[in-house]
Amino acid sequence: MQLYLAASLLSPDPGLAFWFLITFVIFMWLLRSKAWGPITAALEEREQRIDESIKSADRALAEAKQIQADNMKARREAEQQAQTILREARESAEKIRTAELEKTKDSIQHLQENAKQEIEREKQKAMTDLRSQVAELAIGAAQKILAENLDKERQGKLVDSFINELRKN
Amino acid sequence: MTTLSGRALLLLAMLFAFGAGPAFAQEQDAHGEAADADHEEGVFDPVHHVGNGDAVEFFLGIEIPLPRILIVRNNDGSIAPKFYASTHSAIESGDFHLAPEHPAVKGIDEEEMLDSVEAADSHDAAVADDAHAADEHADGAAGDEEGVEHEPVLSYANGEVLMDLSITRHLLFAWIVMVLLYVVLTRMARKYQQGVGRESAPKGKTQNMIETFVLFVRDDIARPNIGDKAPKYTPYLLSVFFFILTANLFGLLPFSATSTSNITVTATLAILTFIVTQLAGTKDYWKHLAGPPGVPLLVRPLLIPVEILGLFTKPFALAVRLFANMTAGHIVILSLIGLIFTFTEAYGPAVGTGTSVVWVAFTLFILCLELLVAFLQAYIFTMLSALFIGMAAEEHDHEHEHEEAHA
Repeated sequence: MQLYLAASLLSPDPGLAFWFLITFVIFMWLLRSKAWGPITAALEEREQRIDESIKSADRALAEAKQIQADNMKARREAEQQAQTILREARESAEKIRTAELEKTKDSIQHLQENAKQEIEREKQKAMTDLRSQVAELAIGAAQKILAENLDKERQGKLVDSFINELRKN
Repeated sequence: MTTLSGRALLLLAMLFAFGAGPAFAQEQDAHGEAADADHEEGVFDPVHHVGNGDAVEFFLGIEIPLPRILIVRNNDGSIAPKFYASTHSAIESGDFHLAPEHPAVKGIDEEEMLDSVEAADSHDAAVADDAHAADEHADGAAGDEEGVEHEPVLSYANGEVLMDLSITRHLLFAWIVMVLLYVVLTRMARKYQQGVGRESAPKGKTQNMIETFVLFVRDDIARPNIGDKAPKYTPYLLSVFFFILTANLFGLLPFSATSTSNITVTATLAILTFIVTQLAGTKDYWKHLAGPPGVPLLVRPLLIPVEILGLFTKPFALAVRLFANMTAGHIVILSLIGLIFTFTEAYGPAVGTGTSVVWVAFTLFILCLELLVAFLQAYIFTMLSALFIGMAAEEHDHEHEHEEAHA
């Protein structure tokens, strides 16, 4: 009996083969379009994306490093520039200051000179005024003398006092 | 190779640890009950449980009969299909009776039984050597009250059966596996199309598990063996891998059957690999077949038959390897369970019950081994298919000898 049963396990079954072949081919065909296609496509897409992400991350890192280096360089340059500007500013400030000073000095001098000239002019004017006043006074005095008709003595005293007065002045 | 198998083993260990634990207990129960039922009938036959059949069996002898479809040629030469809900109804219709020459016949009921035994006797009269076997057969059948006919071959009264297209147990479970895989995998595909797993990491146990296997087949089976042409053959390899793996694992479930423990199923799969391999064949492949390069002209005629033979031994080995592995494991499990009843019968219930602990422990061990084998055979079948396809599809370089030795 054992032999018989073993034989039954090994005997081919055309009906089963027929059904199985047809259904398995349909099964494969269906899975190919409905399952494996989308799944493998999605996996490949994901792998590609991961690959790209890694690459772009690497790129970004390199870029960041480059940018950092650029920044450092730019900062250094800026610092240098700032220093130059500062120095230049200082220099120009110094220059301006000295120029201003010079100018002020000049203007002061100028003012002084002006003042002196003014004073001189005023002095001249005053002198002229004085002269004219003195002349007027002299004339006035002469008129008074003439008007009062004074004696000689008195005339003499009057002239003397006048002259004294002049001297005092 | 080592990292690869290491990964596979780790995977197995994980699956075993998480998924298979409770299933074992059920398995024990199932087989125990089934065996018990059989024991009451006086026969415990492991092959019967492993082999194909015309019914799905549950414990306590409950069976759901499967439909019979037969293409017959009437005596007048006309060809017609015949449909019946079960073997029983086919026989009751009067058009069919169990073919006496078939070894799996055990009788459908008393009358049919007698018929078949008579027929067997008349048949045996011609062949003296078979007489003993037929007696034994009759004895065995007499022990069956219910009639547990498996793969019963029907003879047509008014002519001959051209083809038996019945929906058998193994076919039913192959279909269940296909439908299950189709549903699960298309749902996965939809998930991928919606962006989960495409734009983000895979989510959930099922997706992670399926993705692991898909990547395993694609990266560790298809690509290394086929090379640049791998994408064209990956869907085939994936389908075969998932079908074999699921069918193998189905065999470990209670009340189910392993379609891959049927030689017809494995042979059909192997034939598909054979066809794909031939279709993948390049000019170099055919040239190689007509005479391996670098071999003296005088030796070539000797090698051509060898090469052509090698063409067919490859799928043959594929078919037998898968079938034998799946069948052997199940027979060993059932035989070990059967030892409980053998011991009970031989030494009494006390010894039978006492030693059952040992047999159950053995069974558990074999079941663990079966789990490993389920994965391993799916891997090996797919791996060798990929290898054959790769060998055929390769544009020339001389590594054939090494690969052939490996195959």
